[in-house]
Amino acid sequence: MEVALHIREAAEARSSMKIGEASGWERSSKLGSWLEAVVRRFGDMPVDRFYLGTEFCENLLPSHEAVRSLAATRLPMTLLTPYVSNSGLRDLRELFQLLPSESEVVFADWGVLQVLRQDFPALVPVQGRLLNKSLRDPRVTGLYAIDGANNPTLDAMRGSNLDNASYANLLARFGVTRVEMDQLPQGNSYDLGSADLIAHVYAPFGFISTARSCLAAGLHYRGADKFQPGALCRHECQTNLLAYSYTNSPFENRDQQFWLKGNTYFYTHTDAMLDQLSAKMESGSVGRLVFQPRVPMVES
Amino acid sequence: MKILAPIRERDELEMLIASGADEFYCGVTPKEWLERYSGAVWLNRRSPKGSGLDNVQALRSLCDDVHAAGRELFVTLNGPYYTAEQIPLVLRLGQQLSEECGVDALIVSDINLMMRLSEARLHAKLHVSSVAATLNTEAVRFLLNFGPSRVILPRSLRLEEIAGICADVSKDVEIEVFLLNDGCAFEEGFCATTHHHSVGAFCTSLSDMQADFEWYGPRMSSRRERWLRANLDDYRKWIWYLNGNGCGSTAKGLPYGPCGLCALTDLQAMGVASLKVVGREASPFKKLASVKMAHDIVTRVRAKQDKLVVIERARSLRAEPEHCDAGYMCYYKVGA
Repeated sequence: MEVALHIREAAEARSSMKIGEASGWERSSKLGSWLEAVVRRFGDMPVDRFYLGTEFCENLLPSHEAVRSLAATRLPMTLLTPYVSNSGLRDLRELFQLLPSESEVVFADWGVLQVLRQDFPALVPVQGRLLNKSLRDPRVTGLYAIDGANNPTLDAMRGSNLDNASYANLLARFGVTRVEMDQLPQGNSYDLGSADLIAHVYAPFGFISTARSCLAAGLHYRGADKFQPGALCRHECQTNLLAYSYTNSPFENRDQQFWLKGNTYFYTHTDAMLDQLSAKMESGSVGRLVFQPRVPMVES
Repeated sequence: MKILAPIRERDELEMLIASGADEFYCGVTPKEWLERYSGAVWLNRRSPKGSGLDNVQALRSLCDDVHAAGRELFVTLNGPYYTAEQIPLVLRLGQQLSEECGVDALIVSDINLMMRLSEARLHAKLHVSSVAATLNTEAVRFLLNFGPSRVILPRSLRLEEIAGICADVSKDVEIEVFLLNDGCAFEEGFCATTHHHSVGAFCTSLSDMQADFEWYGPRMSSRRERWLRANLDDYRKWIWYLNGNGCGSTAKGLPYGPCGLCALTDLQAMGVASLKVVGREASPFKKLASVKMAHDIVTRVRAKQDKLVVIERARSLRAEPEHCDAGYMCYYKVGA
């Protein structure tokens, strides 16, 4: 199994690195001690590859310099890309030109895959976790796993379209053999439609929802101009983090928290989720662990 | 530029046609789906309870009536994904809807289902659901691999972005956009939450949760905290507007909720083919009022009335300009 580390800049990447070296990278004091414990858990794992970029916001694409610098290290690299407008797609084309052949590009948008196939065939497309549509609503989906829901319901919630052989064939036709996913609150099915598909799993943050309208970007707009989709911003998301507590839950999980950074909500992995992930890593179901030592809205 | 109306039963048809609906869409969740997957796993993007038909026979009757009125009926099969166990059932349903009921198009989101239906060469056309999050021209071109006749653009696209996509591809595929009623705080295709009644929509439930900011700088001053809180209050107000002003209506019974009426002159100029009125689950009265509002403005645009006159009329319909002025009720920002 491979291990990848999501970094902010090339200076953080070194050969012969271990995950434990990423301890303390997240600036949040609310998440700090939890994250350090998680980093300790995976700390001895050597890093094989480095991820740069974002899956969630076209205003947060890495700079040309950040991409060039990481490319210059000659370490294996993967560029994360978000869903994009036509304008964002133009920006991505410029970044793709800076990538060495055989670099991976994680796509969250079918338009990005179209561009990769058409104009950048030397790059390796990886289907991102945003295109894995499994429900992952931490308010409730986890309850189906402990609530004795009937099996077809739980199985459907743990699955996605990835267990269809026809879908695996379709992806193969488009040159995609790697697919990414979150560790789900209700547990995952790791059944894939082809033995040739390789699963990447993220830890320790799962995405809940993301938007083209951004709470943080609203800070510098007035009245009706706030929260407009795709609005320009000053990367206000890098200045603060919003912790929601599920105080209005109709269930017992009122201490549950969700995290909003910029335009995207995240859940953090519980011990039980990390245990399931570890077991699947040991059993060989996971081809790559993608470790994110910060809330994954990182400016590069 | 057609008005696409939601419909749930035959009784709604006559009034919606009389009010100006040009085409219709609905959902169906057969009993065998509900028995197997319960109300927790939705076959399409709406709860099986109260937002669609519950059997194919009823749908066939509806389809016959729609056709008799010279209109078309589209059916949603737009769950975000279907597992290998589910896909045979959904394919069978698609086949039945197309070949036995005569449905004119299937509205699909899952790429795997789209490919499988495309290979099945059904009579029904394929429409790409907004849940597929088609945000750019190249995404449309990718989807053309599966032969859709229409792509429904997500609500989050700005007018100039819709114009760009239409300029690039509207000769190859019809473009449909949202016109009235239903907001989404997130990018619908990238929201992994459920709207199940036990918890409600995630975006609206956030407004009642305790929320604590953490500042990444040296210290969180009380002034900074107030600044962050004021913005959060605005965000909650924005979500309230997206949610139809708390699911309300005007004194005259006209629905609140996101609205694109002021943008119709621009949308027609771009070559948009269809305008979606949202709300399969809504009451017949809300559907009626929505279609009437849409028809009022579309008629003026078709008659080539001046854009500012059209906007003035659109703003006057609800007779509550303060909500239009708030700016949070608009799908699209319109320049004069």
